[in-house]
Amino acid sequence: MVDLIPRPDRYGDKGPDLDSVNGLIQARIDGAISRRQLIRRAAALAVAAPVVGAMLHATSDMAYGAPSQGRTRAILRAAQADATIPVEGPTAPEGEPQAGGTVTIGTNEEPDTLNPYLTQLVTGSDITTGIMDTLLRYDSTQTLYPALAEEFSVSDDGLTYTFTLREGVTFHNGDAFGPQDVIDTWKMIMNKDFAAFSVLGWEKITDITSPDERTVVMGTSEAFAPFLTYVATDYGSCISPVSELAKGPEKFKAEFGRTGIIGTGPVKFVEWVPKQQVVVEKNADYWGEPMILDKVIIRFLPDDSTQLVQLRTGEIQMAVGAGALGALRVDEALGIKGVTVLEHASPGWSHLDLKHVFFLRHPLVRQALDFATPSQDIVDKLLKGRSVRSVADQQPGTWAYNPDIEPRPFDLEQAKAKLTEAGLTQTAEGGWEGKVPTDDPMVLDGEVMPFEMELWGIAGDAQSQQIIQIIGQAWNQAGIKTTPNFQDVSTLWGPEGYQWKPDTMTACLYSWFNSNDPDDMFYWHSSQIPDSPTGSGGNAIAYFNKFNFQDEIDKLTEDAARETDQAARKVLYDQIQVLLHEQVPVIFISWGKSFPTLSNKIGGFWPSAFNRMLWDVNKWYLV
Amino acid sequence: MFRFVARRILESIPLLLGIAVLSFIFMQLAPGGPDALFARNGRMTADQLANIRHSMGLDRPPHEQLLTWIVNIFRGNLGVSYSQFRPVSEVIAEVFPNTVILMTAGLLISLVVALVFGILAARRPYGIFDNITSFITYFGLAMPVFWFGLMLQLLFAVRLGWLPSAGMYSPEAGGFPDLLRHLVLPAFTIGIGSIAGWSRYVRSSTIEQISLDYVRSARSKGLSERRVMTGHVLRNSLIPLVTVVGIDVPLYLTGAVLTETIFSWPGMGRLFFDALTVRDYPILMGTLVLGAILIVIGNLVADLLYGLLDPRISYS
Repeated sequence: MVDLIPRPDRYGDKGPDLDSVNGLIQARIDGAISRRQLIRRAAALAVAAPVVGAMLHATSDMAYGAPSQGRTRAILRAAQADATIPVEGPTAPEGEPQAGGTVTIGTNEEPDTLNPYLTQLVTGSDITTGIMDTLLRYDSTQTLYPALAEEFSVSDDGLTYTFTLREGVTFHNGDAFGPQDVIDTWKMIMNKDFAAFSVLGWEKITDITSPDERTVVMGTSEAFAPFLTYVATDYGSCISPVSELAKGPEKFKAEFGRTGIIGTGPVKFVEWVPKQQVVVEKNADYWGEPMILDKVIIRFLPDDSTQLVQLRTGEIQMAVGAGALGALRVDEALGIKGVTVLEHASPGWSHLDLKHVFFLRHPLVRQALDFATPSQDIVDKLLKGRSVRSVADQQPGTWAYNPDIEPRPFDLEQAKAKLTEAGLTQTAEGGWEGKVPTDDPMVLDGEVMPFEMELWGIAGDAQSQQIIQIIGQAWNQAGIKTTPNFQDVSTLWGPEGYQWKPDTMTACLYSWFNSNDPDDMFYWHSSQIPDSPTGSGGNAIAYFNKFNFQDEIDKLTEDAARETDQAARKVLYDQIQVLLHEQVPVIFISWGKSFPTLSNKIGGFWPSAFNRMLWDVNKWYLV
Repeated sequence: MFRFVARRILESIPLLLGIAVLSFIFMQLAPGGPDALFARNGRMTADQLANIRHSMGLDRPPHEQLLTWIVNIFRGNLGVSYSQFRPVSEVIAEVFPNTVILMTAGLLISLVVALVFGILAARRPYGIFDNITSFITYFGLAMPVFWFGLMLQLLFAVRLGWLPSAGMYSPEAGGFPDLLRHLVLPAFTIGIGSIAGWSRYVRSSTIEQISLDYVRSARSKGLSERRVMTGHVLRNSLIPLVTVVGIDVPLYLTGAVLTETIFSWPGMGRLFFDALTVRDYPILMGTLVLGAILIVIGNLVADLLYGLLDPRISYS
């Protein structure tokens, strides 16, 4: 059994048990052995590779960076308020912490539903993480800690997970929490009539049994390293009470997430006034540290300017979570007295996708576009350094990130040289034309065509529109005729969207969001190419033609997803990033950042990319 | 009169049906769809996508979807929202009263101000007051709502601190006085656009009426200027205004996205706009049909008002 709370003195004179999977996990969590020692010892015990992967997830060694110890607390002082403050720990304002009180949060997007299995919006899980619990949770250093499960173990073949449930936990309606809640939650998530938004991990479960009132045993169909992350910690994996699940998919869909959300978390749902606010209050019977505040009110303020006005008037004390202010609004927020703007990483990467048709099938042409895109200027000047330049699909600071790749500079001469090298010629008017590839993407042997690009963006997104204007001007300067177009998201991704038009070369600006695992098959693998404009799959850019490096990227991403030794896995992701930078399937622009903005009177608030808004709401306090 | 109203209501049924069918067809023809975002989510499996489409009824042919929808309407069932997973009638019923409150307040402000401005301006065309009101009304017409709303917030909420900046009620308060305080800024923002147009209508129709023979007769009878204006001119100059307001009111009641967004007012405009961005067909269809019904009612009321204002118009 693995106890997630480190107890360095537990071994006494005996020393840690290094002869079993669970003993190794415990020893690693307690800091008795290093990650490397754990892997070596597991190998000596002939533990299968997928199980080692699961062990590393359990010890948080798969987390971004190593589990950090001895963190520093960020002391917020009004004097520092002229710049954003990187989050290094919970906020700790000067002044006497008070018991009780109400905090009002502004967010620019109302959730669609508070049903954790159905919400498509981060603003939905921002709230549900305070009301409901998962079996385990991630803190802001991406370290696992126990929630509804106090301990867990993994069988040596990696197929069976045993969770020991916390005793004495009650749901907000008074129901006792037990194994049946876990079992029925799984059944609801997998119920076809319910149509849950995500079944990741849960679909690997073949059966769940409960040998006694404190234990659930999950059998899975295959060893799957990220299982714990998905099933035990995902925002869509909260545990619901049997009494609510028993109402059936229709009722559970219509009512639970709107008027009746019930969980075991530190806050209880009070009311949802449509388009106005959600109110939650302290759960006095919470199993953990009880909440210090009495009440939290989440107000829906769809306009950014209104959020700023209300921060100024004090009508809201926080603009945090997914509906907080964007990078373009940070300067205005910094100008407000008594308010601090925090800053932390976001797993979203902004890029221009490139439909792989005509010239865009040729890697030199895509490299030319990368040279002609002033990404560094966009990061430095437009976004004022409030984002980070990207070169590939792994986030800087995570273990899978390859720091050795140099981004291409903005250089129109090199762009032109690459186009010439690819076989295109410059016309008298300064534009480009050439023969398009027919069969082999590297051989330009088809009809002559001008090189003209359609540049697409999401309508109504001011930042996206400015970036597209800048890129369009640069490409035009390089002689690549570019027209900007904007559409709302449902149209862009619909069957009439730009990506299904075979006769135009297109690029579109949007962001993908990575999960806590570096697996990136979603984006690049040939199995992810949709079979029709309404089909599923994330790799729509290869719809007309597979990538010229498809076999290579398929093999690398498959191997990397299967490989559970982190060091070996890192080698593969390093290679993938080198390949992506060389082949430019999309133009990588930047990694976003989040800017939680709050009154200098709120302490205990510790946001990160690894959890959602209300994850530690019980620790917030006012001074 | 009763027969007239009954006939108009009966006539409007095929009209509303036609509108329902047309909006359904337009929605089907519009690019994109409610499943677009799911389809492009790389973490979504084909099975799951099929499940979600089935739960929305998107796997059935369009004519079948339309027929079910129309049959359900007659049962008082507007369907279930794709994004909120609950009955559309419930969703609309929550926000419609809020819109009625905001729009009624906005209408009252603009009607009163437009009448006062229009009549005073008409008494001395091109005089000082006429010029001042012209300036104000054109300013109202030309200035962008989001800018004006923000300026009101900065002045009355931030600088003076007299009024709340946004929302319909304070987070922990409620009741009529709280509502009134929240209502002032958005109602004025909504109203100012109409003040401009309507006061010009009142002004020109008043000028026209003042020059007619019956006004000269009234004046020659020795009636005071005040009696002439209120007893004779006003009533007649209202007729064109009734037409315009009759057309504008239903549009008001379907919401004003910008004002509702700036002032975080929980109304129909935001509901429609949010539903449009995620292609929540059931909510869109529900609000469109409601809008059509309101226009029909608005026109009917305008027609009845003509009769009240001008006895020469009869409904036999």
